[in-house]
Amino acid sequence: MPSPEMLKLAEERAARYRAAIELKEPDRVPFTGMGGDVVAAYAGISSYEYCFDPEKSLQAIIKYLKDFPSDRPIGGMSGIGNAITQLAFLDYPDLTGLFAMVDGPTNDILGVDYIRFPGREVDEYSSPQFIGAEYMKADEYDELIADPVKFLFEKIVPRTTRNLRDLGSPAALATMARFGMHKARSGAFMQKQAAELLKLGYKSEPASFFLAPLDFISDNLRDTVNLVKDLRRYPDKVKAAAEALLEPMLKLALLGKNIGADMAFIPLHLNEYLSPKLYNEFYWPTLKEGILRMLQEGMKSQVFFEGWHDAHMESVLELPAGWGVGYFEKTDVRKAKKILKGHTCIMGGIDVGMVIASTPAKLDEYIKELLGEMMPGGGFILSPNIGNLPRETPIENIAAVYEAVEKYGKY
Amino acid sequence: MREQLLKSFVDMDEQEAVRIARELVDTDGGAVAVLDTCKEAMEEVGRLFEAGEYFLSELIAAGDMFNQIMEFTLPKLQGDEVTSIGTMVLGTVQGDVHNIGKDIFKVMAEASGINVIDIGIDVPHEKFVEAIKEHKPELVGMCCLITLGVDSMKRTIEVIREAGLRDDIKIIIGGGRVSQAVMEHVGADAWADDAARGVRLSKELLGKE
Repeated sequence: MPSPEMLKLAEERAARYRAAIELKEPDRVPFTGMGGDVVAAYAGISSYEYCFDPEKSLQAIIKYLKDFPSDRPIGGMSGIGNAITQLAFLDYPDLTGLFAMVDGPTNDILGVDYIRFPGREVDEYSSPQFIGAEYMKADEYDELIADPVKFLFEKIVPRTTRNLRDLGSPAALATMARFGMHKARSGAFMQKQAAELLKLGYKSEPASFFLAPLDFISDNLRDTVNLVKDLRRYPDKVKAAAEALLEPMLKLALLGKNIGADMAFIPLHLNEYLSPKLYNEFYWPTLKEGILRMLQEGMKSQVFFEGWHDAHMESVLELPAGWGVGYFEKTDVRKAKKILKGHTCIMGGIDVGMVIASTPAKLDEYIKELLGEMMPGGGFILSPNIGNLPRETPIENIAAVYEAVEKYGKY
Repeated sequence: MREQLLKSFVDMDEQEAVRIARELVDTDGGAVAVLDTCKEAMEEVGRLFEAGEYFLSELIAAGDMFNQIMEFTLPKLQGDEVTSIGTMVLGTVQGDVHNIGKDIFKVMAEASGINVIDIGIDVPHEKFVEAIKEHKPELVGMCCLITLGVDSMKRTIEVIREAGLRDDIKIIIGGGRVSQAVMEHVGADAWADDAARGVRLSKELLGKE
């Protein structure tokens, strides 16, 4: 059982986070902490072990969090999202959640073509990776538009999932049975993990997931390079496909309400690829509609603006104030604050490249300056600009960041 | 016709650019004219990208147009009509399986006259060494998308140094997560987080700009 002190600490951490999202000043700046592949390295295990052995990964997380506590920690990467199969099983809400994250053992069972795991397709010290490919041909847009869920189940699941290639076969049925058995075991383990983390003062916070429809088409179906060409070759079809995917994607995200999620994570990808003209015509309308519709249902969003989002900042202001969290990678959070203050909770600020390559003294100075500019007025969550510190990140640099946050993070 | 080709290429009018190139390539001296014009167009697209007027989608579309046109132009050129300003061994470093950044850079580098030897993705450190020995490039380009690539680039450069080859080459690193700090950390000579900058700096390293 967690001690009353730890339960109180968990509440304080959650309240700090909540206050920032509500654009207020908490007692301290909320800090996500910095996780990633370094969590496994710190415990002396390979990334393969971290992805395939839940007991070892839990012990690694506990060891790291005892030494590097934060408000809402990001662990290591143990899996990759699998929106295709989730959408394909959208009409079976008791199952869709199970497909959300493909961990190592799940991938051994399903055989997902676009996922690479350490110790399997890549080196055992590498990270799990997503690598899209062309799973849908350009002449299949009409089929996708007519019935996205049916198309994903009948055409894309067999193409992307080796062991579900022939959907009616004994091999596919056996795969689903094995998948179910594994999920029963891993579900029980996740409860154990949640209990262990509560003992350290961390509440588990269920979150939902939404993808910009155009990102789904680009990353999961057409491949980025083809999608970019499609925008010029078949603009009407691309637009219609994004619109057709919006409702299924929304339904999927809102299923998160059943597990108590009040925040949807939306990692963007194509934002940096598109000119404002293409962004506003093809990308933003269905993304914006998704964010607004979720908000109507009581679900805020945390959008990861991957790469440079500078060219599209003004569009964020089309959302109502307090809509959620803007998490920035390369766009300077100071610049984001100038544009979005009092409107959007801003997240990010710590350049992972610096944490890898700089020195403790320089990092101390950097965090001091950053917090000095970003904390006043509230509405800021401190986090690394990308959620994965590599294995060989110098531990003294990590420690320097946590110490600086402790020193300079009080309101 | 050269001006029309240049304009339609830079304006991203794919059909028109390909049509004009097909027409021009069969005229006297046309193949050289198409090659030179497309190179010039790619340079202009790179400039517009660095000026913030074009985005990655334009770089991808331009690269695709360039490849389409070269497919029917290169076979019509004599060997000595295709000149190179230098050779680069290019690969995504060990542990990282991503190719999109590398491929966008590759076509722009080729369009600028660099002879690119693409050694693929998830390239073991030793394979870089072997490729340097075999092709004797002036430049080595290392790409990564994910953060682990930083460790991997550092190790690759160490292995190149241990093989006694570091002083023979210039190294440029590229990818979404590289920066000045990362460049100094891994021991490279230049860095670029976009293809246009990468090509410009590669030419500088070759002493061509």
